[in-house]
Amino acid sequence: MIDSSLLLSITTFAYLLCTVLYLSGVVFRAKRLLTAGTLCAAATIVVQTIGIILRWVESYGLGYGHAPLSNLYESLVFAAWAIMVIYLVFELRSGQRALGVFPALFAFLAMAYASFSTNIDSRIQPLIPALKSNWLIAHVVTCFLGYAAFAVSFGISILYLVARVRSGNPGTAASVSLLPTSKQLDTFNYRMVLFGFLWLSVGIITGSIWANSAWGTYWSWDPKETWSLITWLIYAALLHSRAMQGWRGKRVAWLSIFGFACVLFTYFGVNFLLSGLHSYATK
Amino acid sequence: MQQKPGLPTQVYEAFASLKLTLFIFLALAFASLVGTLLPQGLTAEQLEQRFSPGVVHWIQTLGLHDLYRAGWFRVLLFLLCLNLVVCTLQRLPKTIKLVRHREEEIKPEKLVKFSLHRQLTSGLPWTETKSCLQETINEAFGGLKPFEGGDKSFSGTAEKGRWSRLMVYGVHLSVLLILFGAMLGSVLGFKGFMNIVEGTSSNEVVLLSGNETLTLPFTVRCEKFDVSFYDTGAPKEFRSDLTIVQGGRDVLKHALLVNDPLEYDGITLYQASYGSVLNEADVEFEDLDGGKVHKMTLPYREIVTVPDTRDQVQIINFQKDFSQFGTAVAIMMRKDGQKAVGSWILADRPDFHGNRIENYKIKVTRMGQSYYTGLQVKKDPGVWVVLFGFTLLVVGIALTFYTSHRRLWVHAEPVAGADALSKVIIAGRTSKNTDGFEEEFERLCERLQNRLKPQDKG
Repeated sequence: MIDSSLLLSITTFAYLLCTVLYLSGVVFRAKRLLTAGTLCAAATIVVQTIGIILRWVESYGLGYGHAPLSNLYESLVFAAWAIMVIYLVFELRSGQRALGVFPALFAFLAMAYASFSTNIDSRIQPLIPALKSNWLIAHVVTCFLGYAAFAVSFGISILYLVARVRSGNPGTAASVSLLPTSKQLDTFNYRMVLFGFLWLSVGIITGSIWANSAWGTYWSWDPKETWSLITWLIYAALLHSRAMQGWRGKRVAWLSIFGFACVLFTYFGVNFLLSGLHSYATK
Repeated sequence: MQQKPGLPTQVYEAFASLKLTLFIFLALAFASLVGTLLPQGLTAEQLEQRFSPGVVHWIQTLGLHDLYRAGWFRVLLFLLCLNLVVCTLQRLPKTIKLVRHREEEIKPEKLVKFSLHRQLTSGLPWTETKSCLQETINEAFGGLKPFEGGDKSFSGTAEKGRWSRLMVYGVHLSVLLILFGAMLGSVLGFKGFMNIVEGTSSNEVVLLSGNETLTLPFTVRCEKFDVSFYDTGAPKEFRSDLTIVQGGRDVLKHALLVNDPLEYDGITLYQASYGSVLNEADVEFEDLDGGKVHKMTLPYREIVTVPDTRDQVQIINFQKDFSQFGTAVAIMMRKDGQKAVGSWILADRPDFHGNRIENYKIKVTRMGQSYYTGLQVKKDPGVWVVLFGFTLLVVGIALTFYTSHRRLWVHAEPVAGADALSKVIIAGRTSKNTDGFEEEFERLCERLQNRLKPQDKG
């Protein structure tokens, strides 16, 4: 019988296939493989979307009835979904196919971690009282749209730095010919950071409004809150230095990588290393 | 000769500089990071247990154990505000001038110097060329305003999103509003908690800052507290049935849930925690010497004498879960003229060999418990300012980055000597999102080129 866990298992391996297709497309400079990667990614998103919706429906069958955004497993699945949706929309609008390697890889890693880690419980669990709120969907969705955009921007930054190193070496310049130019990469990176920054802001704010009605205070310097603010400040610094100081290219790429490290710490590090009010996100 | 700016100007420039902004961002980020690594709100004793005296000295001097309320952290926030205000004072007048400025004319020599410009040739008669330019730009971009004068040439400008340049000030204002709202809340409001046992009432709030208490202008009575569980054992709902009493009258009844606070008289009550209290317990004392069993009811913390003896017993403490052995009560016994002895008696494990004191084997047969509800109590008059700031922040960021001030200039003049030929220069400029504008510009130029082709009169 088809259920959400089967569809999400298929999703995991399909994202691995996407990664392989995109990677071989770039390595062998074969546009067909890139197209296959895109088609595979689009089909996987459809499967995953059905999987997520089924999980939502199944939670009603268990009598819990809540959106599948309530614990680490469900957030990882949603993160993978958001990364690929944002990337595909970007691909469609920019016409660039060769940047799919990193987003597909991140989506696969998120799904694999969610599915195979023994520390992560993939069962549908009931909502504890603190999470019973309409803000749950708004807060988690907006935060993860931000995180996902930063993940894509991180991938672009790495490509940018790699392309810069390789273009300095004329013998290998041809192998990156399917990739966009450095200037384009820089622009794409900036656009992704912008998109992520907007959603991270909305995510922090929805969380803050929610905290005001659940914990009685809109800001309590909980480690998760604080780290999301740190992340926000890093990306705010990036946007200001780009707009006012005219920073471009390498420095922006490094700041974006640094910002994504903060995202990862906000997401995982805070859960496992620091204790706080967000502890339900660890299991 | 260049004059060196005076000290006030230098200071002013320093506060308006972006370097200061970046420094504050990174300093705030780093300070916040330290605050998450070092546990906050530890008392002096707890600090001494964890760290060496030298480290404790530094933590206390810098206020690192209460970092977000430390003076230097507030100075950083104040610097951020100052930086924002000075930047605004320095840049806003220029922006307003730019936004207000209306051009009266443009020279074609200037247009060809724009990085984004195109030169086209029109094959249409002169009057048709003019109307074609006017119509196409009106349709594809926005109202083209022709400049005055010049009967031998045609020029004009069109623009959209002028206000986009002002949006960044909205974002900066929102940050000031949020910090101002937070300050308002901490000066005029309070945060605290109150524990109310079922069936009792209270108007005393223990404040989170310091050990002070505050008396509310009304009394809160907890009629009943209820906690329900899922079949997995996870808590499902915490619910307090509260009554607000004011002037001796019950004015409001409310079932308080997590995520559903109660606001009354500008003060908000939140379901925050709960716990149990012991009222009394039925306890059997089996005298191992005589074999006699005494059944007694012990009110919490009251001294009771075991019948026919002079042995005094008293429940002095109670734990819901004693080292994972379940409910336990601490009973103290004082025999005539001897030192008091006590032990934890496990209520859930009646056969535990340690359930004895002196010559008595002790069994707890019934526990009379009631719940208390833990309420968080808050007054925050600044919260609306903060919420308004939040809204402004999001709208401001979206408009700042996703809109731009886009301008178009066009100049056309007939080519001397050629009857139905005219030269058209079109140029554009945008305040941001150059790529998007370039595409729009290219599309417009293509459209113009198609329309300006000489039409076959066949």
